[in-house]
Amino acid sequence: MATESIKYLSPDTETEIKTKSFPRPHQNTSGIVNWLTTIDHKKIGVMYGMAALFFLILGGVEALLIRSQLWSHNMDVLTNREYNQMFTMHGTTMVFLVIMPLSAAFFNFIMPLQIGARDVAFPRMNTLSLWCFIAGGIILNLSWFFTGGSPAIGWFGYAPLTDTRFAEVVGDMGPDFWIFSLQILGLASLLASFNFITTIINMRAPGMTMMRLPVFTWMTLIVSFLIILAFPAITIALVELMFDRTYGTNFYDFLEGGKPHLWQHLFWIFGHPEVYILILPAMGIVSEIIPVFSRKPLFGYGLIIFSGAIIGFMGFAVWSHHMFTTGMGIVATSAFSILTMLIAIPTGIKIFNWIGTMWGGRIRFETPMLFALGFITMFMVGGFTGIMHSSVPIDAQHQDSYFVVAHFHYVLIGGALFGLFAGFYFWLPKLTGKMLNEKLGKLVFTLMFVGFNLTFFPMHYLGMIGQPRRTHSYNEGHGFETWNQIATVGAFILGAGIVIGVYQFVTAFFNKKLKDAGKNPWDARTLEWTLSSPVKEYNFARTPIIKSRDQAWENNYGPKENHSEKEPLDDHGVHMPDRSWYPLVSGLGFLCLVIGMLFHQSVDVNTGEILRNYTFAIIGGTVAIFGIIMWSLEGPAGYHLFPKEEEE
Amino acid sequence: MKTLLNKAKALSIISLPAFLFFVGGCSRIDHKQSALDPKGLVSQNQYDIFMLSVWITIFLFCAVGGCLLYVLWKYRAKTKEEAMEVPPQSHGNSKIEISLIIASTFILVILAVPTLQGVVLMNRVPDPNDSETLDKLGLERSAIDDAITVNVTGKRFFWIFEYPQFGIVTSNELVFPASKAVRINLRTEDVIHSFWLPKLAGKMDLMPGQENFLWFIANEDKIRSRKDSDGNVTKVSTEVAMPSVFNGKMRERIFAKQKFTDEFEAVGGLFYGQCAEYCGNSHAYMSFRALAQTDSDFDSWVKRFQISQNPNKQPGKYSPEEKYSKGELVNFPDPSLGKSVSRDFRAVDEISKGQAPNLSKKVWEKAHSDDYEMGKNLFSSLQCVQCHAINRTGLGSKGPNLTLFGLRTSLAAGWMRNDEKNLSKWLRNSNEVKFGNLMWNGEGVDDNHPLRNLENEDQKVNQLVTYLLGLK
Repeated sequence: MATESIKYLSPDTETEIKTKSFPRPHQNTSGIVNWLTTIDHKKIGVMYGMAALFFLILGGVEALLIRSQLWSHNMDVLTNREYNQMFTMHGTTMVFLVIMPLSAAFFNFIMPLQIGARDVAFPRMNTLSLWCFIAGGIILNLSWFFTGGSPAIGWFGYAPLTDTRFAEVVGDMGPDFWIFSLQILGLASLLASFNFITTIINMRAPGMTMMRLPVFTWMTLIVSFLIILAFPAITIALVELMFDRTYGTNFYDFLEGGKPHLWQHLFWIFGHPEVYILILPAMGIVSEIIPVFSRKPLFGYGLIIFSGAIIGFMGFAVWSHHMFTTGMGIVATSAFSILTMLIAIPTGIKIFNWIGTMWGGRIRFETPMLFALGFITMFMVGGFTGIMHSSVPIDAQHQDSYFVVAHFHYVLIGGALFGLFAGFYFWLPKLTGKMLNEKLGKLVFTLMFVGFNLTFFPMHYLGMIGQPRRTHSYNEGHGFETWNQIATVGAFILGAGIVIGVYQFVTAFFNKKLKDAGKNPWDARTLEWTLSSPVKEYNFARTPIIKSRDQAWENNYGPKENHSEKEPLDDHGVHMPDRSWYPLVSGLGFLCLVIGMLFHQSVDVNTGEILRNYTFAIIGGTVAIFGIIMWSLEGPAGYHLFPKEEEE
Repeated sequence: MKTLLNKAKALSIISLPAFLFFVGGCSRIDHKQSALDPKGLVSQNQYDIFMLSVWITIFLFCAVGGCLLYVLWKYRAKTKEEAMEVPPQSHGNSKIEISLIIASTFILVILAVPTLQGVVLMNRVPDPNDSETLDKLGLERSAIDDAITVNVTGKRFFWIFEYPQFGIVTSNELVFPASKAVRINLRTEDVIHSFWLPKLAGKMDLMPGQENFLWFIANEDKIRSRKDSDGNVTKVSTEVAMPSVFNGKMRERIFAKQKFTDEFEAVGGLFYGQCAEYCGNSHAYMSFRALAQTDSDFDSWVKRFQISQNPNKQPGKYSPEEKYSKGELVNFPDPSLGKSVSRDFRAVDEISKGQAPNLSKKVWEKAHSDDYEMGKNLFSSLQCVQCHAINRTGLGSKGPNLTLFGLRTSLAAGWMRNDEKNLSKWLRNSNEVKFGNLMWNGEGVDDNHPLRNLENEDQKVNQLVTYLLGLK
């Protein structure tokens, strides 16, 4: 076994063990190699977050171009195809490259700290997940530079618009890039999710029972289960679509007996749980922040967790409410309508419980709390319009109008993004050891809150007076102009808020002027706040023995018997695994595999035959598998640290 | 500072929607394509359920939001010392939780009942023998018994309306009798589209390989009522609200009374519709119109179409073996128009055998102007006829059917007013008007196609315009 290579050396010095066969960077490597070979969950979390913030800016620019085009009737900022590409890329980017990875960033960074673990269960798999995510982002955005440009199919790529038969540019490659990008992003999400599930089930500190887990960790667990159950559906849908496009099969081609409905069912069986994959992490974050800034424990802890699980479970039973207008018949639409209404109940419970938490507390209005309150109110609006859509007759008017656009932006910006920003303001001091500028934070919140409402509230009305979504232009005389102009102004205000926020997050790592945070700047409640800020690479010098929920709070204010204890230090110290190049090698392998698949076709000039050349794809696949085999063989190896008692 | 922020936040939450409603109230009341202004039974039902849900959610938002504001105000930490206090650490209260769950379930039931009733109404035309339901809905039995059926086919990027009961086909403008139920069968020949007629019926997708269904019935009373800017409702006469289409009165009224961009629609019987499922480059341009008619006007319109699209009723070639009665039309070469160009002649009087059309003898007259005849000729020679059917049903043609085009109120799938100026602009360079349209960019159209070379051909364009608008 690989672990046998560790020799227990005398405990008084830091020691290192090198395996001879494979080159691995030294434990103290710095600079770019440090980031490329790291297997530390905290560094991976930071990279996830930074990449996602970059894509947030990119997707935001796309959104602003969309809004500029809609400033008035018959505008010429973008051509119709460019506009269609923009909304496709905006949607895909924001869902798969921004909100999901931002959640993953928090899962990575915070969750192991909350359960008292030194890392996730499979650190190198975690790194591979990061590189797959980056590869997916690269593939999606590479599409701009090849035949047909980016996909113009909408983020849910309804068949048969994705069929080559209906391509509007000869040899359009956009949908292919979209397919492979989503596949590799799915791989990233699946790898991460299996990892988180294993970590939460197996690596909790002693005494950290399931019902003592912080809510954010619970939501991590639920979301991870949602991902591993939902992604297979879209993986299959995408494979079938790839077969249709590349090998001429007929899964979705109605002219050959395929069924466009099939795509919609497969996509939304994934797509609706995906909505909860996006929102539950934000709910988890808010459930952490509200107790801290009210100085009270979470009201109805069990019920909040149970309703989160119910939402996740029922998320698989309501997918067809995206398809009310596709002619499913009376029985199916009625059933899905009622189920969708029911899902409002667990969601409502969460809101009641957050208010119950604040009841009788001492509420402080610092930036994380402002964002959390913004989350509650804006998510409420999005939830209410969601209830409206659950009613089929109402949906018959709202479906694919701007009302729906308003609805899901209220849920995904007012909900998910506000929640994630709250998380940034809450936990960045733990990452960087420095407090963020409170005034600037409040400015960001004000800009985002005002800009967001200006942008999306008028869209409810626009939808009701008949503006369909995904139209690059509208005719004069419908009365759409004023509202679209308000929305566009709002979008730029929102954009300004987000840019300042992102600037604040990125500079927090370098800015020397910021105040020191100390261990627990917010007087917060959960385990990660017992650690120093920034957190040491080994997280916990000695594994804590958990005595209660809200352990950090209990240590400060609780009775003696609730204070956590610490396991004695092993005589071999803290074992730290070595860095590894192989996750990166595997990630590059997957990238090559995808590029090889994208470009494997060529047309023989003389005969017009399609030639297929899989060499590059096979090389890529081999490299990916090679990397995984090699990291299994190299083992964790590692070195030992002997931190002093106070160094944690 | 903190309390100030709290106040500002509370204020903004309350004032923002209020501000928007205020602006909304000032700007306009009537919108061409608004679901908030239902003019039919089905859309009224959808609107009623929507308003019910709006009131429910406003109530909930005020209740929960009010509760939230109260808590934020009451339990805010007023001083730094207070912010460091430790309040009682309560963990929950199952009685409150359970009662809130029951309350929210109850509220959902209020919405669920009309929803289920609405689902049935949307999907099924009421049974004409079920007088109880008909009474409840306020429908006459004849409205269902004499329902008309329209087969709608969506194509990138226009609509075909086929009336199987009458054997006629038109496109982009759906003419229907206001007093009858209209059954719509939805089909598509390419990708998914969605038929959205907000004021009458909501929407339903057109799914490839499947036929979907939707129905609506207009409410004449509502079509006739008009709201002015003060909110007063007045009734206008049927002729004003629903001018007849078959003799061009609808077109005249829409054009004459107001500018296309005017805020209020002069004609209550004119409805705007739109494709609501993203279908490709020109999805935004895929709109249509629906024109409500009185029963007799609708019948006259159908007759005109039946005559126009009946191959046996087209003017035949002149035959010296036949007699012609007064008013009959024949087709005969007219060298004055050009080599081997024919035109239609009308008999001024009873005409005996062997009197070939000849203008000098005054027994025959020109049925149409010279420009019209030249335009008709161009329509074939410029290959327009390859995609557009005129005076035949032409199901399966690539482009919209242009039978009786001169009666249409709109051009280019409902995108603009069908008048001389717009039509000639459209013919000269349709890509400039609707970038990406398939008349300009479709299969088989390249830079050598005559259609793409009309930009500076004033004469040809004028003749085509005269011909097309003369089709009435």
